[in-house]
Order: sequence, then C-alpha cells, then structure tokens
Amino acid sequence: MNFTLKIWRQENAKAKGRFETYKVENISSDCSFLEMLDILNESLISNKIAHPVCFDNDCREGICGMCGLYINGRPHGNDDGVTTCQLHMRKFKDGETIWIEPWRAKAFPVIRDLVVDRTAYDKIIQAGGYVSVSTGGVPDANSILIAKDKADKAMDAAECIGCGACVAACKNASAMLFVSAKVSHLALLPQGKVEAANRVQKMVEKMDELGFGNCTNTYACEAECPKLIKRSNIARLNREWICARVGKEK
Amino acid sequence: MNLPKIASISKKIVVACVGLFLLVFLLVHMGINLCLLRPDGGAWYIAASNFMGTNYIIKVFEVVLFAALIAHIIITVALQIQNWKARPVRYHQPSKSKTSTASKTMIWTGGLVFVFLVLHFVNFYFVKMGLVEGKYMIQTEELFSTELQNEYMAATQGKLSEEEVALFQSKMEKVNAIAVKAEAEGLSSNDMKWIMNLSAEDVKPLEGIVEGVEPDFYNMSYELFGNKVYSIIYLLLFVALAFHLIHAMQSAFQTLGLNHNKYNKFIEGFSWIYAIIIVLGFATVPVYIMCFV
Amino acid sequence: MNTLDSKIPEGPLAQKWTNYKANQRLVNPANKRKLDVIVVGTGLAGASAAASLGAMGFNVDIFCISDSPRRAHSIAAQGGINAAKNYQNDGDSVGRLFYDTIKGGDYRAREANVYRLAEVSNNIIDQCVAQGVPFAREYSGLLDNRSFGGAQVSRTFYARGQTGQQLLLGAYGALSHQIARGTVKLHERHEMLDLVLVDGKARGIIARDLTNGQIKRFAAHAVVLATGGYGNIYFLSTNAMNSNGSAEWCCHKKGAYFANPCFVQIHPTCIPVHGDYQSKLTLMSESLRNDGRIWVPKKKEDVEALRKGTLKPTDIKEEDRDYYLERRYPAFGNLVPRDVASRAAKERCDAGYGVNNTGLAVFLDFSTAIKRLGRDVIEARYGNLFQMYEKITAVNPYETPMMIYPAIHYTMGGIWVDYELQTSIPGLFAAGEANFSDHGANRLGASALMQGLADGYFVLPYTLQNYLADEIYNDRVSPNTPEFEKAESEVRQRIDRLMSIKGTKTVDHFHKKLGNIMWDYVGMGRNAEGLQKGLTLINELEQEFWKDVQVIGTADSMNPELEKAIRLADYFELAKLMAKDAYHRNESCGGHFREEYQTEDGETLRNDNDYMYVAAWEYQGHNQDEILHKEPLVYQDIEIKQRNYK
Repeated sequence: MNFTLKIWRQENAKAKGRFETYKVENISSDCSFLEMLDILNESLISNKIAHPVCFDNDCREGICGMCGLYINGRPHGNDDGVTTCQLHMRKFKDGETIWIEPWRAKAFPVIRDLVVDRTAYDKIIQAGGYVSVSTGGVPDANSILIAKDKADKAMDAAECIGCGACVAACKNASAMLFVSAKVSHLALLPQGKVEAANRVQKMVEKMDELGFGNCTNTYACEAECPKLIKRSNIARLNREWICARVGKEK
Repeated sequence: MNLPKIASISKKIVVACVGLFLLVFLLVHMGINLCLLRPDGGAWYIAASNFMGTNYIIKVFEVVLFAALIAHIIITVALQIQNWKARPVRYHQPSKSKTSTASKTMIWTGGLVFVFLVLHFVNFYFVKMGLVEGKYMIQTEELFSTELQNEYMAATQGKLSEEEVALFQSKMEKVNAIAVKAEAEGLSSNDMKWIMNLSAEDVKPLEGIVEGVEPDFYNMSYELFGNKVYSIIYLLLFVALAFHLIHAMQSAFQTLGLNHNKYNKFIEGFSWIYAIIIVLGFATVPVYIMCFV
Repeated sequence: MNTLDSKIPEGPLAQKWTNYKANQRLVNPANKRKLDVIVVGTGLAGASAAASLGAMGFNVDIFCISDSPRRAHSIAAQGGINAAKNYQNDGDSVGRLFYDTIKGGDYRAREANVYRLAEVSNNIIDQCVAQGVPFAREYSGLLDNRSFGGAQVSRTFYARGQTGQQLLLGAYGALSHQIARGTVKLHERHEMLDLVLVDGKARGIIARDLTNGQIKRFAAHAVVLATGGYGNIYFLSTNAMNSNGSAEWCCHKKGAYFANPCFVQIHPTCIPVHGDYQSKLTLMSESLRNDGRIWVPKKKEDVEALRKGTLKPTDIKEEDRDYYLERRYPAFGNLVPRDVASRAAKERCDAGYGVNNTGLAVFLDFSTAIKRLGRDVIEARYGNLFQMYEKITAVNPYETPMMIYPAIHYTMGGIWVDYELQTSIPGLFAAGEANFSDHGANRLGASALMQGLADGYFVLPYTLQNYLADEIYNDRVSPNTPEFEKAESEVRQRIDRLMSIKGTKTVDHFHKKLGNIMWDYVGMGRNAEGLQKGLTLINELEQEFWKDVQVIGTADSMNPELEKAIRLADYFELAKLMAKDAYHRNESCGGHFREEYQTEDGETLRNDNDYMYVAAWEYQGHNQDEILHKEPLVYQDIEIKQRNYK
C-alpha cells in the first residue's frame, strides 16, 4: 500500500511548527501504524531527507499509554478501542492521504514533532489520586470485603492507561474522563472511600489549575478512549464532588 | 481584582440547575402561548397573562428567572472562553469523533437563542416596560372608572362649574373615542371585558384620565406571526432551541451526577421528547397563524 | 577464580530473614532526612522502592525514561501475581511456593533469597489491596485466585488480564503520594548513562535529559538500579521499545558483576513475526494453552500449500496434523513449561514444518475446545485475547487456528546481588528484573511481579537502611567533584563519538542484524560451535557499527536515534558476554539449552557437579576477557531432582 503523509514537524517547544508531506510506499497491510512510521523514519535517515519524526511509543501492545497521535481527525486513528500502536494499515485505503498531528492542548505542550508533555496527568494524580498508605502495617487482604460488582466497576475505571486521548478528542481539551476514571476507581472501593471527599476536591482543583478545559458532556472522550472508559465515571465524579462540597465544613 | 476561585464543576452545576429551571419556565410559557390558539378572543390568554403579571409568587420568580438567565449566559460564556483557551493551537483536521451535533454546538445554539431573546424582548417585554410602542388594551371598567362616573354623576346633577364640565367633556370625548373605535370594530364596550387592539395613538390621550392600559400581547402576536418573514425567523431560531434542549436536559443530569445505567436511556429519551414538545408547542402558534389566519 | 560472598544470614532457612531484620542497623528519623537515595527506573521494583524509602523519610530522586512512571513495562504483565496465601485451602504454603520457584528455576537460584521472596509474597497482596488494587473477587467479596503454570495450587491473584498494570498503578500511586509529600523527586524523560563512584562507593549518576539532551549530574548516598531486563538485545522481543540494558551495563563497566547473562526466557505463545518491518512481538497469555491444541501439518506438501495460500488450515484432515506436544509429552501435553514448549515449536519449524510465510509459526487450535465447550465458554475465557489477536492479524481465531511462535520475554540474568540486593559495588543496589537473584534459569509465570514488589516494598527498605546506617557520618554528596567531572566527560565523549561517525546505515539496521545473530546463535538452542560463530559475527557487526552507523540530528535536542545508538553500543558488549556465558556453561538448565547436553528425549540435562553455581562476570575493559566469579549454590532444604514432564 502507498500513502501520502502530512506530518506535523516542530523542532522544539518554542519553534514554529508546520506540516511536511512525505510519501511511503509498499507498506504491508499487516503493518502497524507505528511500524509504518518506523519505515518512514528509516528512509528519512537513509536518504538524508530530514530528521526522523519523533513520536512517543513504548510497549506497542496497547497498555502503557505512551503512544498517541491525532490521525485524520481522530485520536488513535480510525478504529474503536485501540491505541495508536494497535492501529493497522489495513484500516486505511490504499493511496490515502493521512494527516498526523500531536495531541493539542494547552496542558500538553509539544516537545518535538508529535511528542507532547503529559506530565500534567501526573500532577493531577500527585494531587490526591492514591490511597495514602505507606508500606507495611496494612490489614490482611481478605479482611476487606468488596462486592464483586463493585470490584468489577472499580476495575472498569482503573483500566485507564493515561494516554491523553480524552483530552485530545475533547473540543474543550477537558481531562474529566481521566480524572473521573481515577476518582471512580478509588471511590468505589472501601480502601479509597476514606479519603474520597478530599481526593476529588484536590484533583479537580489541580485539573482546573493546569489549564484543561471544562467538560460540556459531548462524550468525544468516551468515543475515543482506547480502553472504553465510560462517561458514567464523569457523572460519578460530579456526584462525588457535590457530596464532598455539601459535606464540607468550614 | 481577586475573584474567589470557583471550581469548574461548581460553575457547571450552577449552569445545570439554572438550565433545568429554564426548562420548566419554557413549559409554562409554552402553555400560555398555546392559549393564543383558543378561539375565545384571547380570554384564556389574557387571564393567564394576567395571572402571571399580578401573582406575587410569580413576580418573585420573574426576578429569579432573570437572575438565572443572566447567570446561565455569563457562566457558560466564561466557561467557553476557558475552553477555547485550553486549546491554543487548533487541529488542522476537523474532528471525526462520534459525538452528537447538539452537544458540540451548545454555545452556538445558545447564542441563537440569545438572539431570539433580544428579538422577543424588543417585541414584547419592552412594550410592557414602555420602551417600545406596541398594541394596547384596556378593561371596560377601567375605561369608565369610578372617578369618571362620579364626575358624570356630578355633571348630570349640575354640581360642576362650566369649566369643570368642559374639562369633563373633553375627557369623555377621549374615552369615548376608544369606545367608538371599539364599537366600529364590532366590539361593545358593555359586554366585553377588554377593549383590545389599540394603537399607541389611541391610548396616548388616556394618560392622566384612566389607568389600566396594558400591552395587548394577544393581538401583537397575531400581527407579528401574520408576518411570514418574522414567523420563519422565529421558527428557525426555535430549531436552534431544539438542538440546545436536546442536549441540555441529559447534560444537566450528567453534570448533577444523576446517571444510572438503568435510567440513562430514559433520561436521554425524555430529553428528546421534552425538547420536541417544547419546540412543537411554541412553533404551533406561528404556523397556525401563518397558515390559517 | 574467586568465590563470592552472598552474605546469607545465619540460622535455619525459615529464620534467616527474621534474624536479619532483628539484627540490622537502623537510621533514626532525623538522620534519614539527611540521606539521599537515587532510584533508577519506575517499574514495580523502582516505584515501590522509592515510595517505601520516601515514606520512611529518606530523600529520594527517581528517574524514568518515559514521560511518566506509569509507562514502565511492568504495566504489560497480564496473568497475575503469586502469593502463598492459601486462601483456596489447597495446600499452599510459603514452603511450597519456595519449592516451586526453585524447581521451576531448574535449581540455579539462591535458596535464601527465594525463601524470603515466598515469605514476603503475602505481605505484597495485603499492601496492594490496601492501595486499592482492584483484584478479582468472588461473589463472597473475598479475593479470587487462578492457577498458573508450574504449580499444583491456585495461588495467582489477578486483575483481569491487566494485573501488571493495576499493580504498577498501585505502586505509582504510592510513589505519587511521596512526590506530593516532597520526599521523592521525579525526573521524567531522563536516561541514566553512567554510574559515579567515589572512593569505591556508588555516589551518583550521570543522566541525559531526553527532551533537550542536557547531561546532568545527580549525587546521593546510595543508588538503586531497577531498570528491568535486557531482552531487547534480540531486537524482537515482548519488551517495550524503550526497555534497555544500558543502565545495567554502565554499572557493570564500573565494577558491578553481571550474573548468568545467558539465562533468558522464551515465551512460547507470541504472535509470530510477519514481516521484516516488525518492531516487536506481542505476547498472548500462557493461559491459552489450557484449551488450545498446538499442531503443525504432518506432510511437507501441506506446509507448502499453506504458505502459498492454496490450502486453509481448517482443510487439513485430523490424521494429517501433528499435535507434537501431545505426541512427545503425553502426561503434560500442551501444558508443558514455557521452555519446553518453546523448544518443541522451534524443533518443528527447524525441521521445515513452520506454517506461515516465514516458516516460523505453529498453530494453536481451539476447534476441539469450541466443539466440546461451545463458543460462548471459550469467548468468556479468552474473549479479550481473541479480540487482540484479531486486531493484530485480521484473522478470526474462532474460525481459523491462531498462529504462534516463541519470543524473548524475560531475562533471568542480571546484575549480581547479595542477600541484601547489594551489588559488588558498595552502595549500588539492584532490584526486580535488573538483578539476577530469584528465578534461577527459568522464571515461573506470575513470579516477576512478585519479585519486583518484594524487592521494592519489603527487602530494600530494610537492607538499604542497613547500608545507610554507616552513611550518616558522611555529608551530602557533592556532584562537583573530579569523579563526577570525569564521568560526565566520558559520557560526552561517548556521545560525541557516536555522533561523529556519520556513516551510512541506521541504528535499527544494526540492531536488527544483532537481533538475528542473537536469536540464531544465542537463542533457544545453543551449541559450542554456534556460540563461537555468534561471537565472531557480533564482533564483526560491532566493528561495522562503530564505522558505519549514522546518528542523525544533534546531541542537544530530543533525539531518539542517539538514544537507540547509545543503547545498541552497550548491547554489542552485553551480547558477547551472553555468548561467552552460554559457551562456558556446559550444561542445559531452564531457559539455557545447550544442544550438546540433552537427555535422550531432548530435555535439558543439568550438570550439578560442575555448574551448580552463579556465574558472575567482572568487566575488564572493552574486548578484554571478563573474569568469572562463582557463587556456589548450596541447597540445604531441598532435594535436587531432574525435571520431567512426560
């Protein structure tokens, strides 16, 4: 298969970026999207055309959350429930022009080319996305009973890989799906319930501070989440927030 | 200026609550509008409007309504500006994510609804405030107020001086002019409560003589909707409202955290039905007047 | 040849760890604040160690090469984590977990370490549950377990097929908590390029900021290495793209012994290579072998027809199929351990029966199971795996048999550590896959997660404190000393050298070639002749690399090509050490299969008399023969047996 690629190139955070056009030829339909970019990079280097295109990737099996490209208007490209590394060229038409852009958000500044800085997510977690337990001195694992459906629901939320597709997809660059997944995961479990009120307030406060947009319930995040995290988590976050605020003492 | 930081979710909760309140208001307003269609010469419509205009609880709510509306607009615009700022560099390719058009266009449909509101205010509310001229009506008992009747009694009993009689007569002429005008249109000043469809020139002479001149929204509506251009603009703006409402209710529920697997479908369906009912209800009036009057 | 002291505490096996903890030295809270620790790596071992040390009050600097600690490759572990909880009342115990691990490792692991691992395994589960890890539950609300290869009990705790992810998120949460408290400082997108020694002790590292190429110095009283394994030396492996062995290698060059480098694990059920553009291999959970039957065609003509595409696998008649695992191992059948299943697949493919166009794949067929249990049952058990397979290959495994092939998965070898997880350099500790310690010559499923967390949560906080107790007499280490100066300038020189070659071939070109050599000669089956040839080829390729590699771009910007080149340069040296280690070990054990040493049935043949030791290699300089140190393995509490799966 042959493709025309329009790729965002930007030397560094401060440089002005632009789209460059490259052609790749004889790509196998079994090739993954990132492998196609590998092939492009090999040819860019071998033929001394340009610096290879920088893009984040690591596990290449859809779990680390490192990869993330905005491909033809969709985060992680034209397939549902996959990360960019799990997207295959058979999902494209031969001869197609493919536009590849980095995640766009104030909170995710571009570092180089298609690589963006997603440490904002870590900062939100640091604001309270954990159970404040130190090593040791914890009760026996089976002394905490958790109903199976609760545990399953918590797991549904905990599957979030923190890739940033929700922010990339959202027309407001809102991080509510990410934050709600973490809040839900812990709020649904008795271990996390203890600090739930404090956690939700701290995390939302940090999220606002970092310059993410506000959720307007378009659910683009849900449509593009590679782990199919549900919008119901956002409702749960709102609920947790209301309960936390209503119950808050001065 | 150091404004206290209000969390995004708090702002949205206000927007959602206010939105739900506005939804209820729309239903009431639609009910009153539908009274226009009753072939009773506006009796129900006027009675309903009168109730809304005089009941003290409603009067309190009128203030709340305005506050709510202003809050809704200010907060959503502020949130939207933040949202735009959250993505300083836009994508080259338009989004192909699966989302509803209604949800993505809230700020624009909201804007159109605002345009409509301005139009609506100019046409109706400003008339009530006396800022713009419209049509007026007056109640018969107000037209012949006790004061006038006393003067009449005094005049017939010859208790008034000539000057006073002359003044009284000039008053009566002005009042009678309206009564005559009403009679000319086939209305009797005795058997009906309201003398309607009066122009500004008609009611101007009454100033200082009688009170109780009210804007005649009934006839104004008929006149406005009789204008096809106006009606079509009105209807188009209501399509925008429809889009706004389809997303509004379910979105408000989501923001308030009222989301449950069992009831989500119901909430979604109800939002659609509610939006359709509201818009059809409001649209019936201009369509009826355009087509059948 | 020297003998190594592994500092195993006195006393009976079951009392050693208790005794150690009772007698170790402690640091008081006021002094903890004055002590700095560097942790490199944020996987299970690194994150849990940093979080624990931070909670204790030490000042920790933690480094990760990715943008977030949560990206570390621990996240990709699917199956589960073992613990001797015996919640299922099926006869499990610390002793049994210990025994299974030693036996699974083919008697090449250190007894005391493994026993400690089994001992703390239960604490890990408690800790993780307290952190909010959503382990699978039964309807009663109690924790669920599943069974796993190499054990007769159900002791594996799991969170769907994402156990590694959930455990890492737990550790990452604990780490984030400490970052928020200010006890841990995170340095993301930083890669360690050298270890700095001051007066023979590990005192800091040189790291490169990957976003802008800045070379930075970091000083501390101790350094913990938790950088995972070096499986990517084979180019194609189930490891993540950024996983690499360079941090280990630079420590090795500074004096840390490298133990059993040739012990690598090959996982039998991976999606086969489908083209030379391929960048990595994807693992399909081992659990598939519970219901799938592995086969290749009996007839060569069928193989040909399959490759041409004129024949579909479903068209091959039952009698023309060779279920070779069931044929060779009637007792265990398709459920033989990983190393055995992998070798058997290679044997069939080498004999010319491989079924895809590269000739390197066998079928994993579910048709019998679907017929017996129904599609719904199979879907409930393996639905997500089948879906993943279909996403990658566009083949529906419910209708057409899956194709699988073994792939490099884990490295049991690593930096040599003593009982305290301290390397041969004082003050340098190694944890998780980066050390060699607990899995011997073969790792059992669901044990890697256990080891990483055991090291980080429950071993290092004690042993590192024991080391740091002496350090309270030393002030904060300054990075402005000649030692740091020298290390930094060496790093700069190495980078400059790579940048200045300006050859014609890409880094990946060389890496793929190295991978092929390693796979062919230092892979699943090894022999003396092949290892020698491999060594020669590696040497030649290394020389070509230093002459002809092209590293495009600049050193002072984000430059993935440079990162890869630095890692590959180290891999060449490590590759040679692996080949040498494999060559020196004249026996077969676990994942190390020397073709000369096999039983009549083609199984591993150990030589316990001559090779029951840990081979720890000491670096002597580029292309100099490394010195071998031996740590004899003494088994006092275990009877040594030959593994048999017939």
